[in-house]
Amino acid sequence: MSALLEVQGLTRRFGGLTAVSDVSFAVSEGEIFGVIGPNGAGKTTLFNVIAGHYKPSAGTATFSGRGISGLRSDVIARLGIARTFQAVHLFAAETVAENLRRARVLSTSHGPFAYLRSFGTGRREPDLRDVATFVGLGPLLDQTAGGLAYGLQKMLGIGMALMVTPKLLLMDEPAAGLNPSEKRAASALIRRLRDERGISILLVEHDMPLVMGVCDRILVVNQGKPIAIGSPDAVKADPAVIDAYLGDDYEFA
Amino acid sequence: MKRLILLAAIVILAVLPWLANNRYVFHIATMIAIMAPLALSMNLMLRIGQLSMAHSAFMGIGAYASALLTMRLGLPPLASLLCGGVLAALTALVLGPVFLRIKGVYFVLLTYAFGQIVNLVFQEWTSLFGGNSGLYGIPKFSLAGYRLTAVSQYYVLALLFTAIAYWMVRAIERSDIGAILQSLNEDEMLSRSIGADALSWRIAVFTFSAAIAGISGGIYAFYIGFLSPQAFGFQLSVDLVVMNVIGGTSAALGPLLGAIVVVPLPELLREAKQYQLLIYGLCLMVFLIFIKQGLVSLIDRPRRKPA
Repeated sequence: MSALLEVQGLTRRFGGLTAVSDVSFAVSEGEIFGVIGPNGAGKTTLFNVIAGHYKPSAGTATFSGRGISGLRSDVIARLGIARTFQAVHLFAAETVAENLRRARVLSTSHGPFAYLRSFGTGRREPDLRDVATFVGLGPLLDQTAGGLAYGLQKMLGIGMALMVTPKLLLMDEPAAGLNPSEKRAASALIRRLRDERGISILLVEHDMPLVMGVCDRILVVNQGKPIAIGSPDAVKADPAVIDAYLGDDYEFA
Repeated sequence: MKRLILLAAIVILAVLPWLANNRYVFHIATMIAIMAPLALSMNLMLRIGQLSMAHSAFMGIGAYASALLTMRLGLPPLASLLCGGVLAALTALVLGPVFLRIKGVYFVLLTYAFGQIVNLVFQEWTSLFGGNSGLYGIPKFSLAGYRLTAVSQYYVLALLFTAIAYWMVRAIERSDIGAILQSLNEDEMLSRSIGADALSWRIAVFTFSAAIAGISGGIYAFYIGFLSPQAFGFQLSVDLVVMNVIGGTSAALGPLLGAIVVVPLPELLREAKQYQLLIYGLCLMVFLIFIKQGLVSLIDRPRRKPA
């Protein structure tokens, strides 16, 4: 397994606050990699730096051997890194099908020149129905996105990210706000993304059973600094992690 | 269906001047047909969420360029007209990468400042632009040896360009570009995370809309035959925004209706003399308070439900 995403000494400061401090890790191809830590530990900032929403203050990120730190978020997306959001982001007034179609249009016709080029080819991949079925929205294509249940809106967010056919998917708390059965569906979906679509996953999540259940390896951050990295079992047993995050009485459900 | 009836009504309205067969009516109608494409070009800017105060300058650039290219270089009027549009577009293309990174009120102020600078150049470079006393002696528009001399002929020219501009904005609205621009405006972070290059799209829209403004300016120059910098002050950009607000920004029909209502308004109020501005202001307020979505909202039921 070769490293798909490699992060070296990544740091992001906001004025006097160092939100992400000297974080290094590598996500292998086909890996589900988790990032956990208490609220305010800098997980989302780390995400936003990798996805290009913020520029790093120091350090580098490499994707498939290509340096991506400092690139714009849309450029990074076109290289094959898609992301989902912690809060729901979708075009609420449009149908599920139109949301997915727009995601495809935005990715194929990403700029005016790409739009002109796409005229000849008229790419119709990936298929809307295919993706909708994959995330469990198959029967709901004609529903208005804003009217869907919260859990389904999050699934639509994943579906839209899939329309760019990513190699790596950054998922920011996909299980937040979901009920227990939706959470089970979400874990199953994360595994299927890797197993059926070959997408590697970088996952930020608070739900411990979900993280421990799906991740191959986990990075634990606290106050912006990495404190442990390893398999779920190794991380769970790490005294520094228990002290900072899990608590003495943590039991893996 | 409603839209079809309305379009028919606009067509009937468009031929009305011939029924009246009055020079003054033709003049007002021509001014509407010159302002309508400008209002459409402002509509494109509002669709990308940017209120541009530079459009009066783009119109001015198109107007002076068309006039001077024909006067000084002897270019055929149609070529000058197109060159004026291209020059305005090039200006926007150069400014866009810098200006369009900036949003909201800062963009408004930046474009305002640009408009003032352009206007100052028109005023102070007297040897080229004629300064505040104006640029005289612009030849009549001619095409293939046929000279346009009557107002009604200019009305047809302006109307033709309005139709072209309307058709192009409609085509954009209906195509994937419409969906892209709407997506960028609704949720830029999401759109960019999917790969959309927001800045490039904004630059393309800014450039295209400046081209429309420039060509309208050229038609204005050939029609009026005399250019003065005052005609391209920032008040004009404000008027274009007003047309969009009154007509409605959600559809291409909006700015068209806005131009039809707003352009003749000062003329209708001419009798009221000193109360003209007051009544104009009151009319605006009534529109803003009671028909917030503009005239198109009275015709088309708004598709979007409040979130």
